Amino acid sequence: MTVTDQEQAEQTAQATTEIEQPSPLRQFWSSFRENHGAVVGLFTIIIMIGIAFSADLIAPHDPNQQYRDFLLIPPMWQDGGNSQFIFGTDPIGRDMLSRLIHGSRFSLMIGAISVTLALFFGVTLGLAAGFFRGWVDNLIMRTVDIVMAFPALLLALAVVAILGPSLMNATIAIAIVALPQYIRITRAAVMGEAARDYVTASKTAGANTLRLMFITILPNAMAPIIVQATLGFSSAILDAAALGFLGLGAQPPTPEWGTMLATAREFIRRAWWVMTFPGMAILITVLAFNLMGDGLRDALDPRLKE
Amino acid sequence: MKNAKLCILTSLAVAVTAGMAALPTSSAAAKTLVYCSEANPEGFNPSLFTAGTTFDASSRQIYNRLVEFDRGTTNIVPALADSWEVSNNGTTYTFNLRSGIKWQSNDRFTPSRDFNADDIIFSFDRQRVDSHPFFNVSGGTYEYFQGMDMPSLIESVEKIDDLTVRFNLTRPEAPFIANLAMDFASIMSSEYADQMLAAGTPEIIDQEPIGTGPFRLVDFQPDAVIRYAAHEDYFRGKAPIDDLIFSITPDSSVRFAKLQAGECDVMPFPNPADLDAMRADPNINLLEAEGLNTGYLAFNTERAPFTDVRVRQALSMAINKQAIIDAVFQGSGVIAKNPIPPTIWSYNDAVEDYAFDPDAARALLAEAGFADGFSTNVWAMPVQRPYNPNAARMAELIQADWADVGVTAEIVSFEWGEYLRRSKDGEHDTVLLGWTGDNGDPDNFLAVLLGCSAAQDGTNRARWCHQPFEDLIQAAKRTADVAERTSLYEQAQVISKEEAPWVTIAHSRVFEPISSRVSDFRIDPFGGHVFYGVDIQE
Repeated sequence: MTVTDQEQAEQTAQATTEIEQPSPLRQFWSSFRENHGAVVGLFTIIIMIGIAFSADLIAPHDPNQQYRDFLLIPPMWQDGGNSQFIFGTDPIGRDMLSRLIHGSRFSLMIGAISVTLALFFGVTLGLAAGFFRGWVDNLIMRTVDIVMAFPALLLALAVVAILGPSLMNATIAIAIVALPQYIRITRAAVMGEAARDYVTASKTAGANTLRLMFITILPNAMAPIIVQATLGFSSAILDAAALGFLGLGAQPPTPEWGTMLATAREFIRRAWWVMTFPGMAILITVLAFNLMGDGLRDALDPRLKE
Repeated sequence: MKNAKLCILTSLAVAVTAGMAALPTSSAAAKTLVYCSEANPEGFNPSLFTAGTTFDASSRQIYNRLVEFDRGTTNIVPALADSWEVSNNGTTYTFNLRSGIKWQSNDRFTPSRDFNADDIIFSFDRQRVDSHPFFNVSGGTYEYFQGMDMPSLIESVEKIDDLTVRFNLTRPEAPFIANLAMDFASIMSSEYADQMLAAGTPEIIDQEPIGTGPFRLVDFQPDAVIRYAAHEDYFRGKAPIDDLIFSITPDSSVRFAKLQAGECDVMPFPNPADLDAMRADPNINLLEAEGLNTGYLAFNTERAPFTDVRVRQALSMAINKQAIIDAVFQGSGVIAKNPIPPTIWSYNDAVEDYAFDPDAARALLAEAGFADGFSTNVWAMPVQRPYNPNAARMAELIQADWADVGVTAEIVSFEWGEYLRRSKDGEHDTVLLGWTGDNGDPDNFLAVLLGCSAAQDGTNRARWCHQPFEDLIQAAKRTADVAERTSLYEQAQVISKEEAPWVTIAHSRVFEPISSRVSDFRIDPFGGHVFYGVDIQE
């Protein structure tokens, strides 16, 4: 009697804890929400994505249309401004606002493609290195060491110089430069997980290598990778802007923010808006991704939880 | 240890401040002019290099030539040579040298004699005779000397007596005198060279220059400063200023800020965007002059569809040059209709430019079989040049204009060295480039940039070799009669407009902002900076 009672009590206790244990997503959201900066970052990014997708609808002008009678018009709230051009025009009479709006497409696209590329190859290589160890690990990690010996921007410049300057090549260059970080993080996480009991259990139960790698270990090693990918997004946008600034990224007349910044340099004393707005756009986007990345890290990393 | 370092630093700082504080008092006695130059000179021997920055730092202050350009003009005046005679067949030039011209001195060298014919022989033979002991010193590349075809033109340089020199040429060459006024023809001391050769350090003559010019080099610190002092015994009289300082400042916005702060008195290459602010500043005089340059777009006439003159004409009509002047030059340029600028003699003002007319351009393209347009590229230079302050922007405007007549152009750019090399090899469809004159002779534009031999070696970026044009410019080279040459060059300009190997885009105006304390600074049409004759108020 007492034994059964005890069992029952235990069962009820278990049941209640199950009810009180929220779903992982909900748990993540509640801890993410506490970080206000991260939430602001997330919403900024959502708005940015919205702008990028609806650029054709919301941009007041064609971003490449040159209004030759309206060179370097200041923003509409300044003297000499024109309500047709809310943020003013650039040195060859193109609407700044429309170019900024269309520019968001390129920046987000560069971020998305280069992060996806780096993520795919980085995770695969990192997983292989961390799982197999031995010579595979040595080969991959020594190569990574070599790549990391070059300053990131210099390496990206070299890659673009070989491939030729274009937006796509700049994206590839940025992905290559970011690769080592993903490989290292994945490898570290995988090595930590591979020694766990559940992996041994799965192995004893007869799981094959691929299943062990991709289904047993990888999902449990994802948290730091997700954080890295988010932060990588912002550094990809920044690197693309830097390459564009050096004339090796987007080619004219593409309204990419870094390129816009570079071509307006000489006006810094005379027409502040041609430099300030693209700079602000880069700043806001990068900041949003960094804030969100920090929030994700706080929410996902168990070691940072109280 | 750390404290000791700090101590040294502090005392250094104190010393520097003290030095700076002492500067105004010393300058009360000596007049100092500070020029914020744009880059390091490549060296101090003008015949080894080609950059204007190097000429500013060497030939234009330290050296003289047999003949020179009168300051601020393209007129030739006697310098080291008092007078000269040309033989009837145009192949011998005899120069009578000025006597009593003193060489400068430095720590290593004190001249024992005045300038004489030996120095002339040395300066030319060094670049000409490959067995000369100095031929290979300091790298031994004499780009200008070779580029001007001097090795095959000069047969010999003879000393008649101490003050008479004769040049024997292999053929008559009308621009020869003008060529001798160019920087590469600067005269160096053969006595100094002999002493340094005997000491086993011949390269010193290129690093610690000794010239006859108005200023002598005192000190050079790369990326920081070049100091000169006036040459007391200069043959035209000592310069009004005592010390000349080049403060090396690569960024033009920083140069402007220094000029405003009174840290420099003259600055080159202002940003077109800053010109209004300079005009408004009461402490700055903004000098301006017509530049001796042409910015152009060259069609690669060896490549289809630019082999067809109608396509070249149509694309010339499609470009709105006024929009380029407004957006790229911001008013600091004028539309070009000829390959040579209007400041050069023989400029043909009767030539009629293609008017901006997209409809006519479309019709002409349709006639040539390109009613639906075609795809091509526009190469845009990566650097700022007087004839093209922003090639990328110019290319974007051209791209939009051509898109309007159905021609899709991709903009291509390379690193500057690569850009010049590849366009020389003819890898482009169309290329933006320009030229600043070296000697004020039309030959320097028309033959160097559009002649047939230039089409082979690549300086003719249009790769355009048109016999009627070639015949005219070759005939003009062989005669010394200016009236006849003028008429030949005028005809050549008509042909170059009809055949349209280039879209001549602009001649820029040159701006020099100077402090209001500076007097009698004259803009050099060749883009250089000559400080002899310039004065400064205390």
